[in-house]
Amino acid sequence: MIEISVEAAAIMQQHGESCFPRECCGILLGTEEAGKRLATIAIACRNAYEGDQSDRFAIDPQDQLAAQKQARSLGLDVIGFFHSHPDEGAYFSQTDLKNHWPGYSNVVMSVRAGRFTEAKCFRVADFAQTASEEEELLWPKF
Amino acid sequence: MAKILIPTPLRQFTGGADTVDAAGASVAEVLGALTAAYPELRPNLYNEEGKLRSFVNIYVNDEDIRYLSKDSTAVAEADTISIIPSIAGGRA
Repeated sequence: MIEISVEAAAIMQQHGESCFPRECCGILLGTEEAGKRLATIAIACRNAYEGDQSDRFAIDPQDQLAAQKQARSLGLDVIGFFHSHPDEGAYFSQTDLKNHWPGYSNVVMSVRAGRFTEAKCFRVADFAQTASEEEELLWPKF
Repeated sequence: MAKILIPTPLRQFTGGADTVDAAGASVAEVLGALTAAYPELRPNLYNEEGKLRSFVNIYVNDEDIRYLSKDSTAVAEADTISIIPSIAGGRA
């Protein structure tokens, strides 16, 4: 299970809407205790995918390096990532599955007509990247 | 010895350690020492041909080794090596 803080969710939602009709992406920092994760910081990243960003994204490894440093300096961990699906549902696509690692919480946001509609979270089940499973997501009410 | 920062998903293979020290004069040697100490890491970092997996990025300090000398990149005692996952995707 993962809970997203109000501050982190606001950044994610705003990033998804401002990037529309392109996909947004970012990194989640937080903690894990007794199997429950809490994302306290969302870092909005530049979509580094070189091509049509309406249906693809990539996170620049340099941004991840910086996020890892920030997490360690704050006593947090990189616990996951987020991205948006413009005018599509919040599902974990085959492209998502083949390009994420197990062990992270991956939040997918549906942004329709420029407005956030819903978010779901998924984990890759294995390092062979053959299956994913939905993770319970606690998204704050604004 | 160089310091290797272990990303969250790989700590299950290092006994929970988020930082591991390993000896070596190059990235290949340091990662070789790391995976010798923690063999379960190896299939997650290397493919069957013994090459670093495409979704694994290695940094020496702030430099991506793809733009240096790849796994022949020299490593000094005080260097920090970071393992960074490639993360991408999309609705298509």
